[in-house]
Amino acid sequence: MSDFFKTLLFSLALAASASAANYVVDQKGKTFLPGDLSVSVGDTITFKNSDPFAHNAYTDNESNEFDVGMQATGRETVMTVKSAESFNIECAIHPNMLIKVMVE
Amino acid sequence: MIVRLSLTALLASSASFASADIEKWLRPAEAPQPLNNKLTPERVELGKLLFFDPRLSSGGEFSCATCHDPKRGWTDLTPVSKAMGAGRGPRNTPTILNAGYQNRQFWDGRVKTLEEQALGPIEADVEMNMPLAELIPKLNEIHGYVKLFNAAYPGEGGLTQETLAKAIASFERTVVSTISPFDKYAMGDDNAIGVKAKKGFELFKDKAHCMDCHDKFNFSDGSFHNIGLSDGELRGKELGRYLTKKRAAWYGAFKTPTLRDVTKSAPYFHDGSVKTLTEATAICAGGGRYLNNVQNKSTYIVDRNLSESEIGEIVSFLKTLEGPDMKLDIPTKFPQ
Repeated sequence: MSDFFKTLLFSLALAASASAANYVVDQKGKTFLPGDLSVSVGDTITFKNSDPFAHNAYTDNESNEFDVGMQATGRETVMTVKSAESFNIECAIHPNMLIKVMVE
Repeated sequence: MIVRLSLTALLASSASFASADIEKWLRPAEAPQPLNNKLTPERVELGKLLFFDPRLSSGGEFSCATCHDPKRGWTDLTPVSKAMGAGRGPRNTPTILNAGYQNRQFWDGRVKTLEEQALGPIEADVEMNMPLAELIPKLNEIHGYVKLFNAAYPGEGGLTQETLAKAIASFERTVVSTISPFDKYAMGDDNAIGVKAKKGFELFKDKAHCMDCHDKFNFSDGSFHNIGLSDGELRGKELGRYLTKKRAAWYGAFKTPTLRDVTKSAPYFHDGSVKTLTEATAICAGGGRYLNNVQNKSTYIVDRNLSESEIGEIVSFLKTLEGPDMKLDIPTKFPQ
């Protein structure tokens, strides 16, 4: 690969990385806070657990498949939005917890 | 709308609860209904007939009410249900009381709505063992039912699997808890429950952490937990919600049951392995039946260091969740 293309690829990767946003979703009071999200492909979502008990966060969306497993108090897990399909995030333990993630 | 009956006037005088808390404990008057199956008297009455009609089973002996008996807390009071033939079902019969308020049905939550739930036990070989492909033509030969279906679901194609499920679900949605001594206490009648039960309620909320899962008016937040009833590698139906999809968080996890009328529905837990509320409370608040070697045990299930007398106080409180049986005319004659 020529130096020109290496430089171009590095610049594109840097640009994508610089424009990606991180959203923080806290699990508190058996609720995903702050609520529904609008994100873009490449963005990341950090799931926190501020409750005094374990939570979970997962989606069944195949192109954004994600499951944190048992998420203990204080633990953080990051997912990257890989596909332009919108999806729901639910807690496997507390099915009343649900947010919609709109991918723009 | 919340059920208040004649006790509304007591709301303002409650010394024990803030008004927001009172709302939390009162049952909404009607269970949520899907847009395509709103409750009507015709649908509920039809569903009731179907629920109690043994002709919906292959041998003509079992109805939905055989296991969900209104005189037995909408259960069958056995550890695991008697099945068609000589066998037994794999799990304890859950009460259908307030099931319409739950957002997941069955112990493992494998379906969301009562409409999705209604036909499963009819077809299950360990329950009513009646294939729907046989049942629907059979019911369509009963003119009385055809007429009732056409009246309850006009323009929906008559008596079909879909309308059968809708009718049964409509009746189940009306199976609800009544005003219990605890409700009267929550609404301000300080004499509705005794001192021991009041202490039990405080323990239930705080030290014992029961309310972490048994929350809100139905005393269930609809969550799924492995409470440590079995240790080691789980098999078969012990796997709980994990059977529906292999999520680590669902290994051995079962739905938190309602505690409304819990005094009427022994034995307890998904395997019906516990006969008394005292033992059930001791297990939940004592860290589970097995303290160790339980994969995926819920973080709620830890030893709360309760004394025997504290467990007794919690049980006294649980007894105050029993209300009078709902008014129900059980059908004895069925459409011909």
